[in-house]
Amino acid sequence: MLWYKAWLETRWRFLVCLALILLPAYEFFHLGTTLRSWEVDEPFPYFRRLFYSHAGSATVWQFAAIFLGLGGLVRERATGSSSLTLTLPVSRGRLVGVRVGVGVVEATALAVAPWVANLLTSAFRGTPFSASQAACCILLLAGGGMVYFAMAVLVSSVVEGEYTAVAIAFGVVILAYALSRDVEWLKALNLFPLVTGSGYVNKETFLFPEALPWSSILASLSVAGLMVFASIAIIQRREF
Amino acid sequence: MNGARVIQTNALSKSYGRVQAVRNLNLAVEANRITGFLGRNGAGKSTTIKMLLGLIRPTEGGGTVLGKQITHREGNRKTRQRVAYVAEDKPLYRYMTVEQMIRFTASFYGDWRPEISRKLLLEYELPPDRKVKTLSKGMRTKLALLLAFSRNPDLLILDEPSEGLDPVMIEHLLQTMVAQAGQGAAVFFSSHQIAEVERIADQVCILDRGCLLLDTSLDRLRESYRRIDLVLPSEAAEHEFRIPGVERIRTNGRQVSVFASGNAEAVIERAHDFHAISVEVAPVGLREIFLETVKEN
Repeated sequence: MLWYKAWLETRWRFLVCLALILLPAYEFFHLGTTLRSWEVDEPFPYFRRLFYSHAGSATVWQFAAIFLGLGGLVRERATGSSSLTLTLPVSRGRLVGVRVGVGVVEATALAVAPWVANLLTSAFRGTPFSASQAACCILLLAGGGMVYFAMAVLVSSVVEGEYTAVAIAFGVVILAYALSRDVEWLKALNLFPLVTGSGYVNKETFLFPEALPWSSILASLSVAGLMVFASIAIIQRREF
Repeated sequence: MNGARVIQTNALSKSYGRVQAVRNLNLAVEANRITGFLGRNGAGKSTTIKMLLGLIRPTEGGGTVLGKQITHREGNRKTRQRVAYVAEDKPLYRYMTVEQMIRFTASFYGDWRPEISRKLLLEYELPPDRKVKTLSKGMRTKLALLLAFSRNPDLLILDEPSEGLDPVMIEHLLQTMVAQAGQGAAVFFSSHQIAEVERIADQVCILDRGCLLLDTSLDRLRESYRRIDLVLPSEAAEHEFRIPGVERIRTNGRQVSVFASGNAEAVIERAHDFHAISVEVAPVGLREIFLETVKEN
């Protein structure tokens, strides 16, 4: 039932993020398929519009991943329910693990949802749709961007206070983005080209090359994993 | 489990910086008994309970709950399977309904008794579909108690269980605690309500400023604690009545008031030696014992 508790805790955040993340897909539904007559015979203009729709969703997703990662035992302490959770016959590692698991599923669902909407739109309109483009976009977004979620989990394990953790998590992302943009040797830390796919997509076809940036995805996932393990270690040692 | 110790601490201590919340606590709670844990605000009662349940780590010392070390992570988790706990602030998940809270809690415990849960839900008049955040303080307390009493644990730890309850509900609570003990559970509860402790406890522990000042059975307290009021023909020095068992002496001219934890006969004998004009011996209630004990500390 821990998963159920985690779902109840995050469901409103998830549903609000789902509504927001579907806005670009909604735009695609209304505008994305109205192409000029000379574009209609080519599939690539459709792929371009699908990709731009994805870029919009990816931006929302990064914020959504942070929101979904926030919360947990330290926040429960601030709201006064941590002693109930911690006296359940469950290890702290499992408490954090289940919460992370539910968050990962939700974040992945948010990465997939716009593409499901776009697929339905394309099927409804009878316009081209590339499954490989969709798969690559989802993989880059969820694989490359899960570090945002893990960072929020880590911040939530360290920082007390309902709103302090939110402020710090977003502060870290904005700072990292600004530094990676302006400081030359930190450019590798800019995840935006990775999670949106803009750094890898073919600008003519808006499809992805066969060789995806696996090392970057793996590095990002490894950092995310380390952050989750650090969070578990912190929670196990923490006093409530 | 009769006579076995369900809680045993050895020099258990907890400090927060320079503040010592609990000092060298040697506590023993026996099975099949109701143990009242008395103390003023900030005496260290909740800190002790939190250490027993593994929520915080002791700075020094240690202890066992149901035979498992409190500092051993896995042992502590297994202990929690057999312990029902109601925390001081009655924590519940605000976003769940009463029904969801019950189903959620029931899923973790093999000793859950659904028939008792249904019975208490009716008796406590809790609305199953209402969200916890919309419940009054008293209703939240009732729900927290329902979650504990619907189980069949070996140890029931209740931190200020009657807070926020009306007199009828307090009566029901006390009867349920006695019934739980009757079914074989050890009940360990902290309270500011001395009358409640006096009514149902078998054993009383008094904690003050982190130190255990008293740990004895209520029967022994009733048998041995006495207040002896004397009127002497002339003023007598306090030290004349400092004999074993005497805890406190107050003198006011020829009047002497002796508070004794035992050995009242020796005090009376000494009074006769001084040709006391009047000797009045009265049993002492737990309230007075508590006040005298913490005052002395």
